[in-house]
Amino acid sequence: MTNAAVVQISHLHFGPAKKPILDGINLELEAGHFLGIVGPNGAGKSTLLNILAGLTQPSSGHIDLFGQCLNRFNRHRLLKDIGFLHQLHDHQPRLPMYVRDVVAMGLADYAMPWKRADHREAIMQALALLDMQDLADADFRLLSGGQRQRARLARALVRQPRLLLLDEPSAALDSVRQEKLFQLLRKLCDETGMSVIMVEHDIAAISSHVDSVACLNRKIHHHAMKGEGIPEEIWSAMYGEHIHIMAHDAACIGCGPADQKPVQHHRSGHQHD
Amino acid sequence: MIDASMHLLTDFWASPVMREALAPALLIALVTATMSVMVMAHRLSFLTVGVSHASLAGLGIAVTLALPLLPTATVFAVLIALLLALMPKKKGISEDASTGILFAGSMALGILLISTAGSAQVDLFGLLFGNILTISANDLNWLNILSGLILTVLLLAGRAWWSIAFDAVTAEASGLPVGSLKLLLYGMVGLTVILCVKLAGIVLTAGLMILPAACAWLWGRSLFTLAALSIAFSLIGTLLGLIWSYAYEWPAGATVVLTLCLFFLISWSLNWLKHRITTS
Repeated sequence: MTNAAVVQISHLHFGPAKKPILDGINLELEAGHFLGIVGPNGAGKSTLLNILAGLTQPSSGHIDLFGQCLNRFNRHRLLKDIGFLHQLHDHQPRLPMYVRDVVAMGLADYAMPWKRADHREAIMQALALLDMQDLADADFRLLSGGQRQRARLARALVRQPRLLLLDEPSAALDSVRQEKLFQLLRKLCDETGMSVIMVEHDIAAISSHVDSVACLNRKIHHHAMKGEGIPEEIWSAMYGEHIHIMAHDAACIGCGPADQKPVQHHRSGHQHD
Repeated sequence: MIDASMHLLTDFWASPVMREALAPALLIALVTATMSVMVMAHRLSFLTVGVSHASLAGLGIAVTLALPLLPTATVFAVLIALLLALMPKKKGISEDASTGILFAGSMALGILLISTAGSAQVDLFGLLFGNILTISANDLNWLNILSGLILTVLLLAGRAWWSIAFDAVTAEASGLPVGSLKLLLYGMVGLTVILCVKLAGIVLTAGLMILPAACAWLWGRSLFTLAALSIAFSLIGTLLGLIWSYAYEWPAGATVVLTLCLFFLISWSLNWLKHRITTS
């Protein structure tokens, strides 16, 4: 595991200058780092991931991935080392496919007809990470929502990416699967040096697993590192008058579950009884 | 019954017209079947209806300017397909609306051009409903070139197209040039439409482009079986259609499309029955 920066974002802006969607984002991520991003709806979390995945061009700013500037000339090469899970639905979920076919689509050389597409071992390994090896030959169309989400996660992991971008990966997962997923990501970061950037809403669910949490609402209001908490005024700055309905009392980032305070619904500010 | 069938098959095979038509018809069936699964996967069924009808304008231009029919229509169909691929991105016009606009406009232009050229110069019935029995050596060469091109592109871009059909966002994030690959797909749909015109005509081409995959979709469990079944339905449907058209002197294109419709009806009924039995 090296300490070279996997992601380096400098002065990133996106959207109109008067009302930017992302306003001066600076962020650095080392190999093996697990970053959680929290923030309200419309805060620019998915936009930030889309920019890192090469789907959206920023208005200005600079992005280095694996020590190289992300631009249209090396985009294709750099993206081969990235796994991505977005929160949109599949375009054609009724396509008849086995689960292993879906996972195979995540292989870096899947689209090249002169390469084999049935790297069974890699596919089975990715499925095993998500306890899905028994479903390799199942019809993808007949899976539950949670199983489909795990199959998509296996597709993102099958290429053994150096950077994994996850947009609300726990959507459709029950709380046991959620916890197992976060544990798996933690393990992969520690053992393989893979870095993860994960957008999630539930700070309490992720805080014991991640290395740091960035609080994003157009700009990064606070980047809480291991052992730190997130100050009350940061939550207020992000959620404004809606702070009273936010469950945000998870204590310190990166601390084990035993060190965490129980999650409470904070009721400061305006009360609506 | 068996004797009568054998007699019919012997007669069919002995007919020089049918023997000449069989190989190009089966080649068209093979190419359209493989493209039809992509058409279904990318939800481009209405696009094929639009492009096939719009190609009448291409044929009209060819007749008016005394250009070769199939090459001119091919260029026109590909241009229309590419235009449809690019149009929805501008000003938010939906794809079905732009298909409808180009479909109606080109059809009207085609009818005007062909009617002013005079009916003696062009077999309008053949263009509208197909006539594989009168295929010329030039048409055959053109069909072979188009088929080779479409099958080669399918072989090279097939996996990328599957990936885009399933999840275009992830495909793009994994480094695939999704925009260019979609343009290529639309272009190939344009080429395939022209390939079908000789067999099924402008009006019935969509049947060949949609029905084989629609039948296969009801049975296939993987991408491989989907493509294999689509080819099987298309080849058997075309062969049976040609035999029936010979036996009853029906128009070949319409009989092939009706045979494929029959396959779909049977497949759908069996699937419905299977579903009823398994859920009761």
